[in-house]
Amino acid sequence: MKIKLLILILCTASMECWADINVVKIYGNLDKDFRSKSIWKGQNLDQSITLIGQPMIVPKPKKTETSVIRVSAVHDGKWIAFRLRWKDSEVSESEKLATFSDAAALQFPVKSNEETPPIMMGGKGDPVHIFHWKYQYQLDAKNGMKSIDQIYPNMTTDMYPMEFKEKGNFREATKEQKEAFVGGTAAGNPQSFPKTGVDEIFAEGFGSSAVSEYQLAQGFGEWKKGEWIVYIARPLIYENGSKLHIGRKSHIAFAIWQGGKKEIGAIKSLTMTWTPVNILEK
Amino acid sequence: MAKVKNWQINREMEYPYDENRPKKQWAIVFDLNKCIACQTCSLACKTTWTSGKGQEYMFWNNVETKPYGSYPLAWDVKVLERLGHQEWEKKKPYYGKTIFEAAESNERAAHFAPEDKDWMYPNHGEDDCAGQVNKGDYISLQHDRWFFYLPRTCAHCTYPACLAACPRKAIYKRQEDGIVLIDQSRCKGYGECVKACPYKKSMYNAHTRISEKCIGCYPFVEQGYQPRCVTNCIGKIRIMGFINPPWKARSNNPVDYLVHKTGLALPYYPQLGLEPNIYYIPPIHADREYLTQMFGPNVDSAIETYRKLKDDPIAQGLLVLMGSTDRIIHDFNVKSGIAYAFDEKGDEIVHVPIKEQIFIRPAFDEKLGSSRNNTP
Repeated sequence: MKIKLLILILCTASMECWADINVVKIYGNLDKDFRSKSIWKGQNLDQSITLIGQPMIVPKPKKTETSVIRVSAVHDGKWIAFRLRWKDSEVSESEKLATFSDAAALQFPVKSNEETPPIMMGGKGDPVHIFHWKYQYQLDAKNGMKSIDQIYPNMTTDMYPMEFKEKGNFREATKEQKEAFVGGTAAGNPQSFPKTGVDEIFAEGFGSSAVSEYQLAQGFGEWKKGEWIVYIARPLIYENGSKLHIGRKSHIAFAIWQGGKKEIGAIKSLTMTWTPVNILEK
Repeated sequence: MAKVKNWQINREMEYPYDENRPKKQWAIVFDLNKCIACQTCSLACKTTWTSGKGQEYMFWNNVETKPYGSYPLAWDVKVLERLGHQEWEKKKPYYGKTIFEAAESNERAAHFAPEDKDWMYPNHGEDDCAGQVNKGDYISLQHDRWFFYLPRTCAHCTYPACLAACPRKAIYKRQEDGIVLIDQSRCKGYGECVKACPYKKSMYNAHTRISEKCIGCYPFVEQGYQPRCVTNCIGKIRIMGFINPPWKARSNNPVDYLVHKTGLALPYYPQLGLEPNIYYIPPIHADREYLTQMFGPNVDSAIETYRKLKDDPIAQGLLVLMGSTDRIIHDFNVKSGIAYAFDEKGDEIVHVPIKEQIFIRPAFDEKLGSSRNNTP
């Protein structure tokens, strides 16, 4: 009941809830050129979308850090690209302890484009397909994952298990043996491996997100004068995921994290209603 | 929120999950009258578990000096400050707030978030006295220049704040031994557990980008052995066993005997409401008010009982069993000045005389034709 009341109040307060995102067709290769200025040159009619601080489950943000994002989208018949813009006073990355990265996510239904799943990351049997861009993931892709002595240059350690500084008259340990005591790596946790920029995730309700086996989507963000401009591109059709059909309607939801305000996980600003998305034929 | 029974504060309290006590509960008892902060336990743990990448700063077991030491910085002072002044009348339940009850609407538990620098001073305050010792001071017992060492591991709490705080349910408490673990494949590194744990025993790994914590040496425990930090303790101040809640306590279970039967060992900061499973015999010369804030209102009776140890041959026997074996002692008894330790099946693990026998040898050994040196 609480959700329905909240949605009603939000939607009557702002007509933007009913505004659709119209995705025009352009000629190009979005999988390669999704960031190119020439693609976005004609796209000046951003849709403004309202977000609020995640209100439903603990931990919650104390206030809404990002109340508005502007969205444009184009497609080339095979791929679709979104451009998101929102205000953030600082750039935040998450190498060091207790720091968090700026991030943005797009969420799409999987089962049905018209009958949307619960907005809070789907529901049991009604999954959502999430595209999660993080500035830290983008840095991974650019610089590789930094080692601890690069993150903390004054650190010191005598040795790591089975990694000897000098080669001696013994058999070198295997990669598996060296990583046996590195928890996340040995367990194959996706967080412990270098990212490409955008994570593709499936979820059936909050707390259940799992990184997809296939990572096709691409993303790139630029921060200029207090504003993030983030491009996320993905194939229109996924066999086992979100299918955006040309000439038909689907829905999208958004989430933004401001790392500098210690936003992570459930502490974020998001849309509490699905925004209709029309994939136009022209 | 569910209502669960917390025997340490002697009342029901709120917790996000239903009461579900494990079949056996891992617990360690420490005798703080004996700890010398040699840090062997810290290094035993480190060389076993935390020598990997990203773990360089981690001390799943650490030893800090009280009152001025802390790792991470000011962890206990900050959480007590956040909780605010609370009252606990002697012989009554704790009616103040736990960290779950003091939580604001946006959080699972009242907490503070440590910064990375807070972890970089593990020896801060070491050996610092509570009061100044000036030139010309004459000090006799009892005196107010005190300090003591506090060795601490994860407490594998009955009501863990880390487990309650994880939005992904990536932390679980094992039914077989009550050990609390972070699932290394499901954790996404949000750090909610790092913030929520008042004892700050959940730690973020910047190499794997997920969080880790003391695993209770579960691979050893599964084979019937005590954790590394316990067996490597030079002063033999520790014993690990399986504790029962008070309504199921057995006198011949070492941990039950120290905690429930004699009241010698007390949980630390029980008022926070997690029902932690590491228990301390309080240091008898430290300030009582300070000890009461840390161990609750039963400090005076615990110290009184400890002072009367010479009249309790059973307790004496148990204390000599500490550090006498690396196997987990399920049962013990003391007969005719000898303490016996038994495993789960009832087979004897070890027996130890309470008083070490004295052997007197002549200064000159006729057989070998040489003098004996008094070299220990």
